[in-house]
Amino acid sequence: MPESVIHVSDLTRRFGATTALASVNLDLPRGAVYGLVGANAAGKTTLIRHILGLLRAERGTVRVFGLDPVDDPVSVLSRIGYLSEENDLPGWMRVNELVRYSRAFYPKWDDAYAEELRQAFALDLTAKIKHLSKGQKARMGLLVALAYRPELLVLDEPSSGLDPIVRRDILGAVIRTIADEGRTVLFSSHLLDEVEAVADHVIMISHGRIVLSGPLSVIKESHRVDGRVPSLAEIFVARAGEPAPTAQG
Amino acid sequence: MRSAAAAIAWELRQRHRWGLIAVAGYLIVLAAIKLVVVSRGIDIKFDSAATFALGVAVPSSAYFTYFIAIFTFGLDGDLAARQSMYPARMFTRPVSTTLLAGLPMLLGGIAAAALWTVARALALWPASSIEVPVIWPGILAVVLLAWAQALTWMPYGLPGARVFAVVLWLTTIDAIVILALHFEASEAVMAAFLLPQIPLAYLVARYAVARARNGDVPDWSGGFTWLARLGGVSGVRERFRSPARAQAWFEWRLSGKSLPVWVAIVLPFELLLFWVVGTSKVLLLKFVLGVLFTPIIIATFAAATVSTPGVNVDDSRGLPPFIATRPATNAQLIAAKLKTTLASTALAWLLVLVAIPIALQWSGVMPLALERSRRFAEVVGTPRAVVFLLLVVMAFIASTWKQLVQTLYIGLTGRAGLIKGSIFVTLTLLTLIGPAVEWIIETRRVGTLWNALPTIVAVLVGLKMSAAVWIATRLYRSRLVSDRTLVMGAACWSAAVFALYGVLVWMLDTPHIPRYLLMLLAILAIPLARLSAAPLSLAWNRHR
Repeated sequence: MPESVIHVSDLTRRFGATTALASVNLDLPRGAVYGLVGANAAGKTTLIRHILGLLRAERGTVRVFGLDPVDDPVSVLSRIGYLSEENDLPGWMRVNELVRYSRAFYPKWDDAYAEELRQAFALDLTAKIKHLSKGQKARMGLLVALAYRPELLVLDEPSSGLDPIVRRDILGAVIRTIADEGRTVLFSSHLLDEVEAVADHVIMISHGRIVLSGPLSVIKESHRVDGRVPSLAEIFVARAGEPAPTAQG
Repeated sequence: MRSAAAAIAWELRQRHRWGLIAVAGYLIVLAAIKLVVVSRGIDIKFDSAATFALGVAVPSSAYFTYFIAIFTFGLDGDLAARQSMYPARMFTRPVSTTLLAGLPMLLGGIAAAALWTVARALALWPASSIEVPVIWPGILAVVLLAWAQALTWMPYGLPGARVFAVVLWLTTIDAIVILALHFEASEAVMAAFLLPQIPLAYLVARYAVARARNGDVPDWSGGFTWLARLGGVSGVRERFRSPARAQAWFEWRLSGKSLPVWVAIVLPFELLLFWVVGTSKVLLLKFVLGVLFTPIIIATFAAATVSTPGVNVDDSRGLPPFIATRPATNAQLIAAKLKTTLASTALAWLLVLVAIPIALQWSGVMPLALERSRRFAEVVGTPRAVVFLLLVVMAFIASTWKQLVQTLYIGLTGRAGLIKGSIFVTLTLLTLIGPAVEWIIETRRVGTLWNALPTIVAVLVGLKMSAAVWIATRLYRSRLVSDRTLVMGAACWSAAVFALYGVLVWMLDTPHIPRYLLMLLAILAIPLARLSAAPLSLAWNRHR
């Protein structure tokens, strides 16, 4: 049995009267691509923020690489590459400054790889981040998240609002990361065809509960209707719409 | 809603309904009391200036401050940001820029004028001998609010410029009004000075909103890169030797430049005053003191940019993921901020301490300053005079740094309610200080206060130390800082307290001030609880 990269046990989180996560249990072994899918406000980002230590578990536990991300942020975050939908890179920095600044935090930063990505993404070293287009900012965020070859790559709705070419770059990054043996990707997205294209495992979340979790091929086989294998989108509509019967469906 | 204007007015009213109800409630209660008292012919003489101030003027001033906050949309944005504080969501509405700028100004003007009218009516009692002007204070309120709106909505090229512009301009208007009162200007003269400013402020506000609506935000930072290079922290071309250095560079670029840049801008104007000193020693002393206080005053405003946890200073107060996901401890992030504030303070004071002698020399008042220093040395002795001057400068430098860091524990929480609440409490306390001092003097309670001073100071020390112990316990339990850092911090603080105590004993060697009081004052003066709480605040923000 491979070692767990992420282990979430009985995680519950409430924001006022809203239950964002309800007794979530999750165990993600190393070396696979996990697609996290769910409707808006299903709890995907809340789960990711717990994994990054940006939210403290109200109930239950979160362990990443066997560590509590709130208690030991340095050990956990130095091994995670993260790209958020918000893309809040500091607009006042130039591309070369952001590379230089980020490099200081990651001992495993690979200059050659960073330069390779920069050239592939056609990013001008002297350009200010605030002057980059949305797609270029996403590429810049990807560069910073990938250049130290993180053990765990977390992408929170990275393709949202981006054109197909940038989305292709992001998928390419996922594929590159998997190519490095033993690395793990947690990929949240609304674009189910993308998830279907790269994910080995799918975690479907609805109303703060995990309604479906398992290998993509197994899930698709188990939802076969009249001999036809449905798409992930069809399974999503069928499962995310119904009330969750158990914590882990 | 029958019109866009009505919808915007409704939104303003609905958003602040509880605050507005509180204001109206207070005024209604006051009016009811007055009605009862006057109708029953009860003989009450509200002719004490202090009673008038405490009963009506102080609450009205607080409400006026509140009006400024809501009608400038100051509660929605970041004062220190370069971007306009006018809510961007309103720019997409199908209404003209004239309406966007004019309507909040009109509503604010009506509210400010109404507040004055009601406050004046309530302040005057049948047997009162106080003379209260009829119109001009109301116009002044409208003018101050209009300028606050115009300058708040303007986009600026440097972080923190808005605070500086608003404070400078409103203070200038206030100063002119005080000067006019000093020369007993008539109501007509006051109105003639104030009224033309309303359309002027409107034009500036309209221009500001139009620029903001077009997304036009100037960038003046390029003009100050020389200053950043002078700081030696920016412009790094090689790789950072450690994450701590990288983070310190980040903080410098984000907020560290504000203080030295603003000091560099203000300083030449202040130093020009040396040329009008002539042979007046009093003027020279006043102007030098003014220059020395400048970094402290600017630091009070620059502190807003230091405690902004955002990546860009226009961010909301919550910690953005870019910073929150740095593989750095909360203590390391705070340490970078503290190092930056030290560098910022040092650079600002380097400018001041280099510029003063040069200005004294060029303006020809250096001999006057030297003569003054020589006389002081003759009275207290040369060693004592030198040490005294050094201590004064060190006290100014320490105060500047203290201003920059003492609100970190509030700003870093990222809780808008807490931040705005603390600003409101501070403004209210500042509003109360003047009348309170006046009341103490008028009612001849200075002696009582002096006698009670040790008790008051002891209570404050008790509160401070209790808070410090609670914070230290939390820091220890949460492992936010290492045991070594805790012990080192406590040792450094104790050393600073004893050093300050030694200085105070040496300087104030008089039987009238007991030594234990000096010790208590030293404990109060050295930052401890609020500074120690900064890592807890950041952790509360970072791991919500």
